[in-house]
Amino acid sequence: MKDGVIVALEGVWKVYRMGRRRRIEVQALRGVDLEVARGEFLAVMGPSGSGKSTLLHLMGCLDRPTEGRVLFEGEDIARLRPAALARIRNRKVGFVFQSFNLSPNLSALENVELPMVFAGVPRRERLRRARELLSRVGLSERERHLPSELSGGEQQRVAIARALANSPELLLADEPTGNLDSETGKGILSLISEANREGVAVVVVTHDPEVAACAGRHLRIRDGRIVEVTDV
Amino acid sequence: MFDLFRIALRGLLHRKKRSWLTIIGVLIGITAVVALISLGISMQLAVERSFEDLGYDVMMIFPGEVGGGFGGPTSLTASFEIDLDALSRVEGVGEIGLISYQSVYVKADGNEGFLDALGVSGNIFDFFKLEVEGRRFGPDERDAVVLGSEVAKELGLGVGDILEIEGHPFTVVGIYSAEDRLNVRGESILMPLAAMRELLGIKGVSMVLVRARPGYDVGEVAKRVEEFLYKSRGRRDLSVQTMEEIHEAVQRALGILRAFLGGIAGISLLVGGIGVMNTMYTAVLERTREIGVMKAVGARNSQILLIFLLESGLMGLVGGALGTVIGALLNVVAVIAARASLGAKVLEFGIPWWLVVGALGFSFLVGCLAGLLPARSAAKLDPVEALRYE
Repeated sequence: MKDGVIVALEGVWKVYRMGRRRRIEVQALRGVDLEVARGEFLAVMGPSGSGKSTLLHLMGCLDRPTEGRVLFEGEDIARLRPAALARIRNRKVGFVFQSFNLSPNLSALENVELPMVFAGVPRRERLRRARELLSRVGLSERERHLPSELSGGEQQRVAIARALANSPELLLADEPTGNLDSETGKGILSLISEANREGVAVVVVTHDPEVAACAGRHLRIRDGRIVEVTDV
Repeated sequence: MFDLFRIALRGLLHRKKRSWLTIIGVLIGITAVVALISLGISMQLAVERSFEDLGYDVMMIFPGEVGGGFGGPTSLTASFEIDLDALSRVEGVGEIGLISYQSVYVKADGNEGFLDALGVSGNIFDFFKLEVEGRRFGPDERDAVVLGSEVAKELGLGVGDILEIEGHPFTVVGIYSAEDRLNVRGESILMPLAAMRELLGIKGVSMVLVRARPGYDVGEVAKRVEEFLYKSRGRRDLSVQTMEEIHEAVQRALGILRAFLGGIAGISLLVGGIGVMNTMYTAVLERTREIGVMKAVGARNSQILLIFLLESGLMGLVGGALGTVIGALLNVVAVIAARASLGAKVLEFGIPWWLVVGALGFSFLVGCLAGLLPARSAAKLDPVEALRYE
């Protein structure tokens, strides 16, 4: 594996068993090979149900492949214990979701602090970093607000600040502008691009051509297979 | 840890109403536990104190067989005669006190009727550590009585007043207070034993109190007294019981009572614990997605487990703290009510520190135990499934 690769998928299959008796088999990914380089911006596109989110979950060590290998910084994640996977997710990966997924009972500031709490960062350092990130996403004034008191765009900005809390190497965003109007979406996109410019590898699942336009590489996926990879 | 605690606290505050309802469940359980255990302790303390007043070196001789039949000792008004000189020569026998229970006809200040009278030897005041306002009667006095405070109040008599017993005038020389006493009631008239015998034409006594000499084992002396009684009387018609034996019997009875009360309280606490478990399962279900997000941002399973355990433990602890306060207040109310209605100190305030600490620790433990399974199921959630949960 090349030094510059942060995460690589080799012949990855992911099969889900659904239904009450888990008899229904869903092949979410079917033999995917992919490498994501450090600092690159990759846009993953494809119809819904094509396996985009599954791909993101595997790259983010949230899940293990049914077959094949996912190598995160060269380490086969299937061989890692849950605590080691949690550590990778905590230190090296940042997630941004379509539906923001902030903790409803924590303030904006506390939501940004959360990954650092799990990492055991001392409170003073944590607060400094969380405030810095909130100011970067333009929400310094809203740090005490609960998610329910924030607009969708503001919530997503908090989510980006949270994703960047532990200075990850890889930012994974699943339709980050999907629930936002185009103007707000642009703001979010510029924050993601800014992180990428600072060296964070970004993988974005999107239907939005504007988002895709920021990426250096496009990947099209259909029925669990990569059907097209385009360097822009 | 403190930060996880803060997250747990936020979780509880986020669903305030449900948290409080669950806490009330634990609160009722702990209130019952504290109130009932402290009631048991209150009774025990009162009993202990009354035994200590009389002293563990004392034994009682009374008619009837102990544990030999229905009701144990026969009526206290049954009297018997005993050779006191011979008894005092038994090795180890020290001071001897005599009591004769009789019902006498009393007239005073327009009131008349039957009352309990105790003909006693002069040293009975010391045996029972009675505090007398005025003075005690001397060994040779014939026309002096000491009244219980209740009787004095009822008859409207004070020191120096005269009352008529069985047609003979007696002067009230003292009034003893039975308040804060469990072993002496305030409704009796104490009169010199000799005067009672003369007045009623009786010879015997209802009870003999014997104090073992210092340095003698009261149990051994009691055995010797028993033997002496059997030899001198040729039958076992009198029982000898040491205070220690009576104390043990009372302790056993109180122990059973305590276990019974504790069992009832335990059941209510169990119900409270199930309430916590139910709330926590609901919380895990409701927050499945949030758990998924926490895992996505790097929470380890152990951290998720701890957050939910702290949540349930916290509910237990808050319920326990409030329950302990309410249980303690109930104890105070029970003690005051019992004293008000029964006069004597039948109950002592019984909230020892170990009960408070124990109740708090136990309630936290109940909360944690009840939350263990829900917390485990939260910790074991598959992050991808949790994130997909709607």
